[in-house]
Amino acid sequence: MSECHLMRESMPLLLTESLDRDRRELTHQHIESCAACGDEWAAYRDSWAIMGDLAEVEVPARVKQRFLEAAGIAAGAPLEQRRSNVVPFYRRTSAKWLAQAAGVVIIAGGAYFAGNQTGALRVDPTPATIANVQQMPYSIAETRVLPASQISPQIEGRPDIQNVQFLDHEGDKIGLSFDVTSRVTVTGSPSDRSMVRLLSYVLENNKGLSASPSRAIEWVKETYSDPQFADPEIASALAKVMRSDQHEGVRIRAAESLKTMPAPVAGDTREALIDALKNDPNPAVRIKAVEALANLARSGEALDPATIDTLRAKSVQSDENLYVRAKAAEALSNIKLQ
Amino acid sequence: MKHLSDQELMAVVQGGDYSPASEIYDRYSARIYNFAFRFLKNAEAAEDAVQEVFVKMLRHANQFHGDAKLSTWLFSITANWCRDYLRKADNKAKESDDVLVTLPAPNELSPERNLEMRENEVRVRKALEALTPEQREAILLSRYQGLSYAEIAQIAGCSEGAVKTRVFRAMETLKKALTGRDSGGDRCLNAIS
Ligand SMILES: [Zn+2]
Repeated sequence: MSECHLMRESMPLLLTESLDRDRRELTHQHIESCAACGDEWAAYRDSWAIMGDLAEVEVPARVKQRFLEAAGIAAGAPLEQRRSNVVPFYRRTSAKWLAQAAGVVIIAGGAYFAGNQTGALRVDPTPATIANVQQMPYSIAETRVLPASQISPQIEGRPDIQNVQFLDHEGDKIGLSFDVTSRVTVTGSPSDRSMVRLLSYVLENNKGLSASPSRAIEWVKETYSDPQFADPEIASALAKVMRSDQHEGVRIRAAESLKTMPAPVAGDTREALIDALKNDPNPAVRIKAVEALANLARSGEALDPATIDTLRAKSVQSDENLYVRAKAAEALSNIKLQ
Repeated sequence: MKHLSDQELMAVVQGGDYSPASEIYDRYSARIYNFAFRFLKNAEAAEDAVQEVFVKMLRHANQFHGDAKLSTWLFSITANWCRDYLRKADNKAKESDDVLVTLPAPNELSPERNLEMRENEVRVRKALEALTPEQREAILLSRYQGLSYAEIAQIAGCSEGAVKTRVFRAMETLKKALTGRDSGGDRCLNAIS
């Protein structure tokens, strides 16, 4: 078998970055010195890129239902989340946050609940600020809409939020619907602190989303990539997803969204991007991360020495994806030194 | 459950408790469905594949060894099921050109790029259909699922060398279909071999 043939057999492995260092070097050397194999390599890379345009298809929801039924598990929810007519028990922390939220509504909205509600919502009558609303017995009977401006941005504990749905924009408002003790919908401006906090919480905890996490990220990106709503806290939540989600598709989506977030971003977001660039096993995540850093550099945001060091190291790392190297170099050339 | 590893979830299942089923499904169903759909070119069959694979995962949980990767094991079951499906001659006629809900393209893309993506998508689908089932299986697992040749060999029940050849031949076909370029290096190949 000819040397060229051997090299060409290695090209798919070169594309998936799964050649060992020596073989990779050897193949690259050959590609650089053999014009025919150079052409061949270019065609390989083009094909590989075009293949990336094959869209992922979505699994219809009925498939999961059918499986869970077959497995003897109630459709729609894993065992531990099954609901019944019995009022479910929630952790105290969750109760406290909702009670607090409700408390603030009472305070801020006056008769908002009292007028709409037959249930026994009892609130400490003492005039209260957010800080001293105490846990209290409550019961909320049905779905209600809470304006974000009237709930506390302080989410206490880790409330058990389930069946989260993202609602379409209505005018300048966005909305988030979920079950806490009953169905609650919070609506408000994207810049509302409580809305931001709630979205960050849902993203970071990947909690009971009724859509896939990727969809949730997409929804958040759509709103917050608009410079008027740029929010470091949202970026930071996305960064946490990119750091910790075990699904590479979700990490890619998070990194992709960070790429569209307008500067400035908080320090921990930048650190997460650097970590992803350095350590994420998936080249697509590293690519999005370096693109995000390049965008930050281009937007004139000053990058700290650690970021610059990482970019420098990446731009010359011989076993790194060529595109990542090129982007790292591009970011370096745009950097405004601190 | 979200914080538990695949191995830990499977250990629970092996103990007879199916409650992690939903979580495991969420982790792998999209990958399995996409693989089966692209392999079989039939959405209905892909749904059946997902169903069968996860039911089998529960029933035969004890065949899973904790030191293996769950993804490799699940893809082995999936690929087996798909190969069986194709073997049944009457199923071949049912290959359909299903139009499915595809995940939306990122909307910061220009209309030109969107159009290009859609066109490429059709070309890639056609090109994949031109491959032999073995080649298609290998390329789907390698290109779209990011599996190593060693894992693919395990799934396909062949040697790593055979996987390498299948991927190579698949890429030759795809390259020609997608870029119009045949092995441009025949000169060089002939000169040496
Ligand atoms: Zn050559």
